[in-house]
Amino acid sequence: MVTTYLRRLYSSFAAHVFDIPPRMLALMLFLLLAFLPLIGLPSTIVTILTGANVLAIFAASWDLLVGRTGQISLGHAIFFGIGTYGTGLLFYHLGHPLWITIPLSLLIGVGASLLIGFPCLRVKGHYLALVTLAFPIILIGLILYFRAFTLGDFGIWNLPTYFPFLPYAVRETAEYYLTLFLLFVSAVTLYKVANSKTGIVFVSILDDELASKASGINVTTYKMMGFAISGFFATLAGSVNAHLIANGRVASIASLRISLSFFVIIYTIFGGIGTIYGPIVGVYILEILDKYVFTQVLSVPSSYRLLGYSVLVIAFIILWRGRGVARFVTDKLEDFEEARDIDERGPRIWKTYKKEGKKIGVIARMRARLKK
Amino acid sequence: MIEDIIIYGLITSGMYALLAVGFSALYGVTEITNLAHGALFMLGSYIYFFFASGYGGIKLDLISALLVSAALVAIISSIFYRISLDPVIEDPISVMVVTLSLAIIFQESMVLFFGSGRKVVPSIAENFLKARGMSDFVTIFGVKTTYSQILSSVLSLVLFAGLIIFIEKTRIGGAMKALSQDREVSMLMGINVKNLSMLAMSLSASFAAVAGVFITSSTGGNVTYPHIWQHPLFMAFAIVVLGGLGSIKGALIGAFIIGFIEKIFTLAVDPFIANLINVPQGATLSGAVIMATMLAVLLFRPKGLFGKRVELEE
Repeated sequence: MVTTYLRRLYSSFAAHVFDIPPRMLALMLFLLLAFLPLIGLPSTIVTILTGANVLAIFAASWDLLVGRTGQISLGHAIFFGIGTYGTGLLFYHLGHPLWITIPLSLLIGVGASLLIGFPCLRVKGHYLALVTLAFPIILIGLILYFRAFTLGDFGIWNLPTYFPFLPYAVRETAEYYLTLFLLFVSAVTLYKVANSKTGIVFVSILDDELASKASGINVTTYKMMGFAISGFFATLAGSVNAHLIANGRVASIASLRISLSFFVIIYTIFGGIGTIYGPIVGVYILEILDKYVFTQVLSVPSSYRLLGYSVLVIAFIILWRGRGVARFVTDKLEDFEEARDIDERGPRIWKTYKKEGKKIGVIARMRARLKK
Repeated sequence: MIEDIIIYGLITSGMYALLAVGFSALYGVTEITNLAHGALFMLGSYIYFFFASGYGGIKLDLISALLVSAALVAIISSIFYRISLDPVIEDPISVMVVTLSLAIIFQESMVLFFGSGRKVVPSIAENFLKARGMSDFVTIFGVKTTYSQILSSVLSLVLFAGLIIFIEKTRIGGAMKALSQDREVSMLMGINVKNLSMLAMSLSASFAAVAGVFITSSTGGNVTYPHIWQHPLFMAFAIVVLGGLGSIKGALIGAFIIGFIEKIFTLAVDPFIANLINVPQGATLSGAVIMATMLAVLLFRPKGLFGKRVELEE
């Protein structure tokens, strides 16, 4: 009984993961990340990777809102900041432990995202982008002004740590695993949402709002849903980040800074917008390049690094229309799939491909040439 | 109190008008949301500083430094327009990301050339008056202000009027109006859309540069620094969104609304609240209130006060 159930589970898992090369690759990368701390990495790299995990959740949530729903948000740091300050203020004023403050701040985040989504329903396109930019500025202004309540630019320090019962040496590694687990759960959830029926409706709103309205879709509900889901995961990233040792266990206005909203866009464009896995890949590549390779190995000054990224992003957009690194890899893998199909079904399909003038990837072409 | 608010409000609004009108006009003609507008403002003030103070060995008098700065910024922006903006002009997200990256490129280039420290920008009015043995300070209706501030405010309104005359009276201005109404049809009518968009971009950039020179040389300790671009950019956003993207009249009225709100808050409301609760020195609610006003207006008029209404597509 149990074995049949397990076997069925395994075969379903195999059909959904093992047989699809991009997913298989994602699983392997995830396992690689899970085993990385075991080979004895220096703690600086673990810190960088922990930060990358949190940022990846944040970037993926931005991608769901913008890449799928088409609601351009230039101020996504608002949700990150709400998460950070939600958990920070609950701890500071009420003294609750973190397993109460984080879920509560998630609730606050969803509420706030609905509240923010409401005025955003009225505006579209450029107006929406500029309006969303206003929210973090408003919150920064309020936090700096009501200093007695929020501690202003000083920030709330000494937030509770996740694993007080563990020895100091392994706490950071434990936090790495915690954030990696959260990233895995968030990424799978966001990917599932983006590819569910709801996700298809999101894309239909992105493509043509009027046509989806005419097809009987309640655009308002779906837009609000997009805001709520995206806001939930961005808040999760913010509130989890506040308690990390890697972050210094502080809730400060750095969590609302404009550059955070902007960098998440750069990560997403680099990785591939609208894919959910793209921003995660983008965050990992750029964070490791930025914080480890260029800072610690090559010690390039930050001005040159920022210049380099900006030029890179512009080149990416102009040359590849923002298709991104991750899409490039999955496309190549799909070529591989195609090539396998050609092998199985014989050269007839290859001929029809040729006749239709379809572009086949490098691997397929090589295989076809070998067969001749 | 009331005199303070009126005089300072008028001066601030005038400066903001110059800042916002370039942004709005560019959007009106090409539908580019130029996130690098603040960076062009910063670039203008730096180029002016470079020539006016003889930083690189070349020293010009202040007025020609201003003209050179406006011209150079116009040329730089049109080059960047051709390289990076023209290929992606159809897609708003790409345009925003590209202009944002341009802003970071300008910011970091300035850090590399001049360092991240503050640079004192000489004021044209102050130098002119000093050469004649007069003081820059002036008192109007009991309100202390400087001639530099009044000059920048008045000059911005003059430039504003000049832009309106240019658009209404010249052939190129008419072509820009046509382009803002319908891109495809103006293409069919034989307008060179690419070059006209480039011209609009350089015009808007030179407005930003002039605004940069005058605003940095008359307010906030007369300094410029590479990260200065964020505040003017957000002010331009608030003004332009409030008045309606692409509307020049809206930019002027939005500038006056925002300028007066800012002064009312910094001069009247903030001291009042500071009496009630403990507020840190120099903190102000005006930024948050300006953004909140913008949101409130958009709730009732989603295209701003004077925005274009597109009937069928909504």
